[in-house]
Amino acid sequence: MTELRHYDVIVSPAITEKSTMASENNQVVFNVDRYATKPEIKAAVEALFGVKVTGVNTLVRKGKVKRFRGTIGRQSDVKKAIVTLAEGHSIDIATGL
Amino acid sequence: MQVTETLNSGLKRELKVVVPAKDMEARLAERLNDAKDKVNLKGFRPGKVPAQHLRRVYGKSFMAEVVNEILAGTQSILTERGEKPAIQPEISMTEDEKEADKVLSGDADFEFSMSYEVIPPIELKDFSDIKITRQVYDVTDEEVEEQVKRVADSARTYEVKKGKAADGDKVKIDYLGKIDGEAFDGGAAEDSEVVIGMNQFIAGFEEQLVGLKAGDESTIKVTFPEEYAAAHLAGKEAEFDIKVKEVSKPNEMEINDETAQQLGLESADKLREIVRGQLENQFGQVTRQKAKRQILDALDEAYKFEAPSKLVEAEFENIWNQVTRDLEAAGRSFEDEETTEEEAREEYQRLAERRVRLGLVLSEIGEKAEVKVGDEEMQRALIESIRRYPPHQQQEIYEFYRQNPQAMANIRAPLFEEKVIDHLLAEIAVTDEKVSRDELMADDEDETEAKPAKKEKAAPKKKAAPKKAAAKKKEEGE
Repeated sequence: MTELRHYDVIVSPAITEKSTMASENNQVVFNVDRYATKPEIKAAVEALFGVKVTGVNTLVRKGKVKRFRGTIGRQSDVKKAIVTLAEGHSIDIATGL
Repeated sequence: MQVTETLNSGLKRELKVVVPAKDMEARLAERLNDAKDKVNLKGFRPGKVPAQHLRRVYGKSFMAEVVNEILAGTQSILTERGEKPAIQPEISMTEDEKEADKVLSGDADFEFSMSYEVIPPIELKDFSDIKITRQVYDVTDEEVEEQVKRVADSARTYEVKKGKAADGDKVKIDYLGKIDGEAFDGGAAEDSEVVIGMNQFIAGFEEQLVGLKAGDESTIKVTFPEEYAAAHLAGKEAEFDIKVKEVSKPNEMEINDETAQQLGLESADKLREIVRGQLENQFGQVTRQKAKRQILDALDEAYKFEAPSKLVEAEFENIWNQVTRDLEAAGRSFEDEETTEEEAREEYQRLAERRVRLGLVLSEIGEKAEVKVGDEEMQRALIESIRRYPPHQQQEIYEFYRQNPQAMANIRAPLFEEKVIDHLLAEIAVTDEKVSRDELMADDEDETEAKPAKKEKAAPKKKAAPKKAAAKKKEEGE
């Protein structure tokens, strides 16, 4: 897999209350590509941040149906990955890439 | 906060202020703490934002606020030092962006330097040393009578007479003016009433009407003066064809109750009273002006100190602009005034310094004596100054003054000055001296020439503000 593909896999870090809580367990939360697989995510995180990943859990948050002036629209689905890092490794999300 | 003095020469001061990064940090933390429960960030319920994240988002902008706060608080530094700055201190910070960034992120000490000039401490001396002679003039009955006559003149009636016109008569004429045989603009009129001897027409015109009868036709030759208002006529010779329609002689003037009533007053005595009041007021003002000048001269003598150069500069700019504008408006150059630009500059420089010095002394005296300008007086002066504008602008100008403390200060300044002078007049030794009318008036003119300072003093300042108002209005209009 090329380096470029890694950047496509990981969309952005998710900075929320919940992700802050997760960080206490040495876990980091990312928004990832809708069709990325767990091994892809693992490889991307390891390559881009230079850390060791012990596990990846994913979830798809379905987009809500929104009505605007009678027309029905739908927000896009978002896939999130909760990445567990090996002990001693950490990612400073603030610094970015 | 560490303050070190880097320059102290004469009135100039320069301070270097260092605020350690730790202090900045503490202030920033305080602010963040304050904002913690209020901000609404995506992904977090209010009040649940971790401090670290909050700092990342708001840290820099808050730090900038802290910096501004510190700069705004520089006044207290000066008060601590017991110095009064003559002008707003100039503050300079690092120009380097990287360094500024470091300060904002709380890694470096915040440093800035401020330069300013102090108002020299003025030690007030005993005023009782100052002695002035106040020239007083009592208005005589004859003068009142004369003035009354002049006032009553406007109510004079005329009676048609036959025969030749004499000095003082009113003549009704048609006239047609020609230059080189051609009629010119504004040179013709019908049924124009001319009172001979009132000098309302070109010199020589009225005199040549003497001796004409009703029905007479004649030609009058006059030369327009060199400085006539209409440029195309100035200095030209003109002929006027005159047709006399009517000659009337003035009725005998008597100052009695009847004439007074024509002027809208109850009786002749009342008229005299009013006229006397006006005259006294007029002379009283001159007396006061002269007394004031003497006081200022005395103060100028008594207080010799170095005036803050920035203030002097500003004042000089003020005067200079005014002067050059006046000259331009009059279409004259410095050569016409028998002086060169350098000389004039020097002269006005001295003037500016004197004004600044006197201004400082007066304000100090006023402060010591607790002279205050009340709101009511301010209001009155404000209305007074507004009244000089056309009615439809008055409201806007009033608003301008209300919203602009600087403009209000301009109105306040002369009031304050007058009050201080009042205070001084009571403190110092004043000897009254009776003088004749000529002495009072003549002397005055000499002095105004020698020192154009006083007269101008109030004028340019007052003028400046309304002009701003006008300019401002223009902007809004467009």
